[in-house]
Amino acid sequence: MPEIKVTPLGAGQDVGRSCILVSIAGKNVMLDCGMHMGYNDDRRFPDFSYITQNGRLTDFLDCVIISHFHLDHCGALPYFSEMVGYDGPIYMTHPTKAICPILLEDYRKITVDKKGETNFFTSQMIKDCMKKVVAVHLHQTVQVDEELEIKAYYAGHVLGAAMFQIKAGCESVVYTGDYNMTPDRHLGAAWIDKCRPDLLISESTYATTIRDSKRCRERDFLKKVHETVERGGKVLIPVFALGRAQELCILLETFWERMNLKAPIYFSTGLTEKANHYYKLFITWTNQKIRKTFVQRNMFEFKHIKAFDRAFADNPGPMVVFATPGMLHAGQSLQIFRKWAGNEKNMVIMPGYCVQGTVGHKILSGQRKLEMEGRQILEVKMQVEYMSFSAHADAKGIMQLIRQAEPRNVLLVHGEAKKMEFLKQKIEQEFHVNCYMPANGETTTIFTNPSIPVDISLGLLKRETAIGLLPDAKKPKLMHGTLIMKDNSFRLVSPEQALKELGLTEHQLRFTCRVHIQDPRKEHETVLRVYNHLKGVLKDYSVQHLPDGSITVESILIQATAHSEDQGTKVLLVSWTYQDEELGSYLTSLLKKGLPQST
Amino acid sequence: MEAVGAGEEEDEDEWLVQSLSLYKDLHTFELQAPTRVIEWARGSRVCVAGYGQSGGQEILQLVPPPTLQAKETQGLCPERDFKVECGGFSNRPVYSLKHVPDTSLLVTSGPPDSSLQVWQVSAEDSDVIKSVSAIPTENGTGQPWAKIATISARAPWVLHGSRLNSVQITEVESRKNVYTAASRNSEELSGLAFLDCNTLLLCCAKGQLCLADVRQPQSPLEAASLPSAPCGERWCMGVGRGPPGSDSSSQPVACLSSGGHLTLTDVRKTSESLAAAKCRVSSPRSGAEFLCVSWAPALEGCLAVSGFDGTVHVYDVRRWDGSGREAEPLFVHKGHAFGGPGGSAGPPLVTVHTWHPQKPRTLLSAASDGSLHVWDWVQPCGKCG
Repeated sequence: MPEIKVTPLGAGQDVGRSCILVSIAGKNVMLDCGMHMGYNDDRRFPDFSYITQNGRLTDFLDCVIISHFHLDHCGALPYFSEMVGYDGPIYMTHPTKAICPILLEDYRKITVDKKGETNFFTSQMIKDCMKKVVAVHLHQTVQVDEELEIKAYYAGHVLGAAMFQIKAGCESVVYTGDYNMTPDRHLGAAWIDKCRPDLLISESTYATTIRDSKRCRERDFLKKVHETVERGGKVLIPVFALGRAQELCILLETFWERMNLKAPIYFSTGLTEKANHYYKLFITWTNQKIRKTFVQRNMFEFKHIKAFDRAFADNPGPMVVFATPGMLHAGQSLQIFRKWAGNEKNMVIMPGYCVQGTVGHKILSGQRKLEMEGRQILEVKMQVEYMSFSAHADAKGIMQLIRQAEPRNVLLVHGEAKKMEFLKQKIEQEFHVNCYMPANGETTTIFTNPSIPVDISLGLLKRETAIGLLPDAKKPKLMHGTLIMKDNSFRLVSPEQALKELGLTEHQLRFTCRVHIQDPRKEHETVLRVYNHLKGVLKDYSVQHLPDGSITVESILIQATAHSEDQGTKVLLVSWTYQDEELGSYLTSLLKKGLPQST
Repeated sequence: MEAVGAGEEEDEDEWLVQSLSLYKDLHTFELQAPTRVIEWARGSRVCVAGYGQSGGQEILQLVPPPTLQAKETQGLCPERDFKVECGGFSNRPVYSLKHVPDTSLLVTSGPPDSSLQVWQVSAEDSDVIKSVSAIPTENGTGQPWAKIATISARAPWVLHGSRLNSVQITEVESRKNVYTAASRNSEELSGLAFLDCNTLLLCCAKGQLCLADVRQPQSPLEAASLPSAPCGERWCMGVGRGPPGSDSSSQPVACLSSGGHLTLTDVRKTSESLAAAKCRVSSPRSGAEFLCVSWAPALEGCLAVSGFDGTVHVYDVRRWDGSGREAEPLFVHKGHAFGGPGGSAGPPLVTVHTWHPQKPRTLLSAASDGSLHVWDWVQPCGKCG
């Protein structure tokens, strides 16, 4: 049976990195290549030994697809392509291609420079890896090779995030990556057409969450900023150069305007140029409405937000500052943090995940005494807050997506099977499809029912229709022919034609059966008895009595001879060709029953 | 990929900015299907369930976000989401759901008859809420759905009935009947409650209250009409749960009518009104189906009212003058009118609300558009209470 095989790579039951191997119609595709942010050793990389045992990766894998720039989806890519070794194509959307290397470089700097790790990819490796990347547009069908094609769909979530459809022959798989189904101010909701893939692969972690609305999370952010500023404190918001900074600025700007607030908001330099680049990417990627909002405000010409100068950090009074880098691991944001950390009126709001080893990670874990350079201890009295603005799908969203795509099977990764029985039942009940939940390292096989197109020869078609019954769309009709599979094409032809093409002679098979009949009369009288009997019983068939003394029923021949030893017994020879097998055996059993006395 | 229309978004933004000063905390969620029950279960879990007419309604047991845990928020609570811990499927709509105290059982009721369904939740082993049994009722077909109350004093009991003459107490595990009320009155019930392990309080939809003693099943129930109850209105009740150990009958019963009248009466003398007021609400649209009134467990003298529109009102009864005139609510939660999926169904109607058992000003409310809100409002004039 044709099948699709899916193996989530990685050790154990842990969540935290995405890397899925899919085998479809003889093609092998790797979906995402993420780093597990919780580990410091090799456990942070997916377990590639599962694939490498098959030989060279480039020969085995047809392509690698990256859904978006988050490190738990692309963090292991340079390691995979440059250190493990893969030279094939890597597909991702344009914004992902632009942003990935920046995040990877940042991550590399922290891991190598700050933590002194050695078994890690270099800057050059990141560059070499990105050279293998082929950028794709939304809804563009990309031919990976003659049989394999992929298409990206809008996923929402972050800039450039996409869901991918992978098609080989007439089997297809859709991989969602991270997505969200509720549109917000800046990102629309994920969308896919009714592509009816054989399999839809998604994360199970969302399915059990009911998310607080984006608005309420924004509200929480504004409240925290407002309260700090109201009591005269300073708010530090470390941001990535490319990311939510823009969104948060607009949010604050609107709020400041509405509430007529006077405290200054600053945006550190260095952010501006990179942010411009991000802005341009964003505009082409997003929809009309969002484009308008951004075009109206000419990038960083905010009324209330000004460029930062490092001297301002010492100014008295409340203020809000956006500064890079986002994990407080170096640079301006760390400098400002050191100045403000000692005052409990101040607040730092971490807007995203922080890698282990960074100051951001330490303070989020609750550490309040930090060792800085030169053995200096920094006491953190300022309030530490964490804000997650990532848009993810949830229980309701997963059902919506399944409804849109109409897959024949669903596969959820990263869940504990025991704890997912309800979700499995929910999906199976509502959509009548199978729901699979493999553990990491476990391969799931999904059987598909692909349609295989077959050409039928005109001769065969004519012959079948000539037999009589017209084709009825609702009743299957049995047809006899020969299936020829040659050069990836399938043809149905008549047996004679097939033999001709193969250069073989057709053999004729003829069966003869002897039926003994008790009849003392002469042969020709027996023949007459048989003829009358058959004529009476087989009214729909052509029964003939030929001048030479034989009987034909259609093309079946019946002759009678006397038994060599016993004059009272007559031997009927019933002879038919292979094609008339059915009628032949019917006649034989009929005659074996004997002739009626009256004739 | 289109977002919400511009005008709507502005209204929502406006409300959000206002909400900064109105609420200490605010969460808004969207359930896949609307619920008309929000019940607290074992381990601070919250249960909700669908009430749609088609089969396959979900019963969900949710783990609330850490911000709702009883401890004071520690300043670092990134998680603001509910987690679905367990779920089950009901082939009938769920109109009422109660957790059986000290057990891992839930009891539900709903049309088309007055029977009850019992469910088992075993969160450690699996995430499926299994249907374990049904408690049928005599002549139950065609009767309105049963109102339920549960208690685990002598044994896990469920008090149920749809009419005054069908009130009974059934032992949940054995399904044995332990009490049947003696009444020939077929008045429809709108609510029932255990005041303590021996005393029952029943509320008829037409506005009558009945006290019953479980130890005296033979004495007929006497229904006393609420003082000055206008005719033609539907009534429901809210029974206070004082601090543990206190006499439940010391707290007044609040009764709410579909016309917006609120009456407080002493449980022992239901014919006398202790206080009365009128809520500032328009008449409910859907015929008083979702009327709900409840006392705050941790805020003295406060009760919440909902079911008239998309709002939840909180009143401080100590400010009432007893004249029955319109009272000023202490707080009005308007969130359900904003930010929902919107669309053709019109403005949503709040189907149910409940108080957080420990946090004094935190409530949960659900509406007909599937929204579920958790809000902690700010006391406007700074008086504790």
